[in-house]
Amino acid sequence: MALLNKKSKKAFSDPLMSNNPISLQVLGICSALAVTVKMDTAVVMSLAVIFVLAVSNTVIAILRKMIPGKVRIIVQLSVIASMVVFIDLVLKAYFYDMSKQLSVFVGLIITNCIIMGRAEAFAMQNGPWRSLLDGIGNGIGYGGILIGVAFFRELLGSGTFYGYQVIPDSFYAAGYENMGLMVLSPGAFIILGLIVWAQRLIANIEEE
Amino acid sequence: MHSNNYTLMFTAILTIVLGFFVSTADSSLKEMREKNIEADIRKNILSSLGFEELEQEPWTNEKVDKMFSQSIVGFVIDSAGNVIEDKDPRNIDPEIDYNQFPIYKRVEDGIIEGYSIPISGKGLWGTMYGYFSIEPDGATAKGITFYSHIETPGLGAEVDKPWFQNNYPGKKFVDPAGNLIGIQAIKGGVDKTSPDLYHQVDGISGATMTTKGLNSFLLKDLKNYDPYLSKIRNSRSI
Repeated sequence: MALLNKKSKKAFSDPLMSNNPISLQVLGICSALAVTVKMDTAVVMSLAVIFVLAVSNTVIAILRKMIPGKVRIIVQLSVIASMVVFIDLVLKAYFYDMSKQLSVFVGLIITNCIIMGRAEAFAMQNGPWRSLLDGIGNGIGYGGILIGVAFFRELLGSGTFYGYQVIPDSFYAAGYENMGLMVLSPGAFIILGLIVWAQRLIANIEEE
Repeated sequence: MHSNNYTLMFTAILTIVLGFFVSTADSSLKEMREKNIEADIRKNILSSLGFEELEQEPWTNEKVDKMFSQSIVGFVIDSAGNVIEDKDPRNIDPEIDYNQFPIYKRVEDGIIEGYSIPISGKGLWGTMYGYFSIEPDGATAKGITFYSHIETPGLGAEVDKPWFQNNYPGKKFVDPAGNLIGIQAIKGGVDKTSPDLYHQVDGISGATMTTKGLNSFLLKDLKNYDPYLSKIRNSRSI
């Protein structure tokens, strides 16, 4: 078997565009709205979700034939929850300020529908390698949208890019003002809506 | 279909394996986490006493420790306002030492620049923790900071924001007769012509419960320190 045969490739690349978990399946948007005021929180959140998705998908795929059907959801949740607690502990030890900013949203990765969804819909039926790719693909698909939303919110709401001021002072002197709406949750809804629209247009997807 | 015994066995083993994994991670990272929490509290004391963290030069744990040991002296007072000698604020056990209170002062070249006391109490959703700092006169607010709370972002969580915290410096928490009255955050904003302006700040719209809580626990905590602070006020007025 080639390392990346057609099916494995599809598992990785589908969620990036044509089957994106956020913009097409509209899963896990709670955190997408909450942590996207600034780029740095969005990036850390994306990395955390990629890690949890990749590991939990792989572990569940390895165990898939051993997991009793009756308790499979609980088993999936325990694996996911352990990974999330682990990430939370690592953040508290190495990136304390970041973990304070992300606060409850790291813990809430446990309830992110994307992760449960991939475990139940993909990892329970496929091998570990393909599940790992599916996990990373979905994580990147999620992270890409998150970072995209954060890019616009930070630029329009704070006039910065990753903490660096990009709107020159002369603009402010000339009467330009940051858009307060972008810092609040409704701003995230509007940006996300525009991204969903643009993406469906590009991917040429029509509702049935 | 797996048998019940198999299911029980499987879940038991899984629980043990995952539990072992999580507790190993927890205990091996515990030391670093606790260091971070302590540094964060010290950071709060420093910024409540007028130290400013610049964006180009973020405070590392080492830098915080250095500034803290250079400029900050922590000590403990009792409910009568007397300093308890040889007691480190970190050694206060709230269960036993409920009438002992930690206080920090900033000393630069032998001159006291201000005092900082821990404040905590109920906001809307849970307990808020922070520091309240006082000018060397023992009667004027120097600043206020929070390091832990679970108030609503955009509403109660505005207590974290400079616009709110910057209202406190310069306000008095004692009346002209020397009685403790605290500082009140006023719903709908202060009346600029009011004679009470000296102990009032703008409240946060949409966060009535948070500000009410803050007003009352700030006063409650200041009461514990009033015997000590009134000594400072009296010694200065003579």
